Amino acid sequence: MRNFLAIWRRELAACFLSPIAYVTMVFFLVASNCTFLFGTIKNVGNSVFLTSLLFASIILWLTVLVSVVSMRLFADEIRSGTIEMLMTAPVTETEVVLGKYAGALTFVLFVLVPSVASIYLLAIMGPGKGIVDTGAVIAGCVIIFLIASFWMSLGLVVSLMTKNQIAAAISCLCLIWLMLFLGNIVAAFPFISPRAVTFLSSLAHVDDFARGSVDTRPVILYLSATVFMLFTAVRVLESRRWK
Amino acid sequence: MIKVENLTKRFGRVTAIDNLSFEVKAGEIVGFLGPNGAGKTTTMRILSCFLPATGGKITIGGYDVFRDSLEIRQKIGYLPENVPLYVDMRVKEYLNFRAVLKGLAGKKKRERVLEVIEACGLSEVKNTIIGRLSKGYRQRLGLADSLVHEPELLILDEPTIGLDPNQIRHIRNLIKGLGRSHTVLLSSHILPEVEMTCDRVLIMNKGKIVASGTPGTLVGVLSRNPRVIAEINGVPEKVIASLEKVPGIVKVSCDAGAGREWNRYVCDCRKDADVKPEIFRMISSNGWLMRELAAEKRNLEDVFVEVTMEETEP
Repeated sequence: MRNFLAIWRRELAACFLSPIAYVTMVFFLVASNCTFLFGTIKNVGNSVFLTSLLFASIILWLTVLVSVVSMRLFADEIRSGTIEMLMTAPVTETEVVLGKYAGALTFVLFVLVPSVASIYLLAIMGPGKGIVDTGAVIAGCVIIFLIASFWMSLGLVVSLMTKNQIAAAISCLCLIWLMLFLGNIVAAFPFISPRAVTFLSSLAHVDDFARGSVDTRPVILYLSATVFMLFTAVRVLESRRWK
Repeated sequence: MIKVENLTKRFGRVTAIDNLSFEVKAGEIVGFLGPNGAGKTTTMRILSCFLPATGGKITIGGYDVFRDSLEIRQKIGYLPENVPLYVDMRVKEYLNFRAVLKGLAGKKKRERVLEVIEACGLSEVKNTIIGRLSKGYRQRLGLADSLVHEPELLILDEPTIGLDPNQIRHIRNLIKGLGRSHTVLLSSHILPEVEMTCDRVLIMNKGKIVASGTPGTLVGVLSRNPRVIAEINGVPEKVIASLEKVPGIVKVSCDAGAGREWNRYVCDCRKDADVKPEIFRMISSNGWLMRELAAEKRNLEDVFVEVTMEETEP
């Protein structure tokens, strides 16, 4: 546990110390808030939920944020050789994987908070827009967090497999976009029931939650997928020690 | 302390370590020598549980490297080659982080971190960002890190690489001091270094141990004959003929130049013979002059070249 906390702290500190993370952070805030703003302006007079617009614009740019934050998790350690220092210390693979994962996820949460808060800013500036549905915002935050957790674990596994950060980021981004539209891709096949879309499409999940309709199925999906990915990561890291 | 039996490591089709066996006793300082690519680093990585072995059995302090990896990592301090460090951290912060990973906490941790900062001469840079440190400081930081949890066994891969002579002397004394209470296994390219620090030397080549023993005995077992060099004033042909008659001398060679009075004669001798008094007697009975008579000093470098070249040049 102490090791986990030490690695978590170190990873979080590394995120705040690296310029890439700051650039991504600024980029993410500008991009997601601009998308939200343009969406709001374009939909004036339409009956679209503000929360839906907000979380759709967040999830769109979250793909880039997670790819960039997750790419350095292991790729950087493998390239610079610090993995040798880390893995020859008396720490278990689980501690290393969970510590790094938690550190990176905490950083993403830090970035997400001001982004979500922008809806309240809008409400203050334009009282005519109506009162923000806090329940829907909370539900949206939950699904965004779950999706970010899953994508981050995916990025972690990708990062473990290469020593090139750019390769890790691009592979991770491709996989995430595939996940984002998996439902739509699957639905394109005529022999698959259209209901599959609602099971698999992250976009559909975000839309549901952002309207305040909370469903346990996506929760279970993302939690189990995250656990599976982290388990895979521990095994991949362990396999370096296998005979 | 360390017991390695039939250790083998293959990377694909390349055999990096070939059926290696050796032992290191507690409290010994053992030096690993060998040309680049001999398998020193690989062996050290396997000992420190970073790489798995393809075959063989290694125990450190009674624990098996493969099965009890965590216990072993608790017992050893490992300094990898090129000292990879987190360049964005500060020196003290880094040592604190490493100390926690190695199981230290609270007052004990603070004390140990200060102690190793002191011992490794890092006091003046303790708040500097690691990325801005010179090679020498990084090396010492790596060493400080490997010492912080007071390990029983130190595995140091080229600990003095990139240091200036003063720093080398400092680190050498540090290691020698540690050798009283710790077991140390170090590798190095700097032969006088190893000769001065280590109780015992293992010379590796192509994944095998080609020679082992104390630096003194290794020099003794050289297969090449010892040499005596004499500088004599006399007619070269006559001198050579007389020298060859001296019992114990096998061969005499001379780089005599025409008309030169003083010439150097290199005499290959039998291993057990001390030919110097005989040469002196022969010279004085012939009425020649002599201004130098010396046994050629041989060191670990000769042993190193001999045992590693034989293999590469059949």
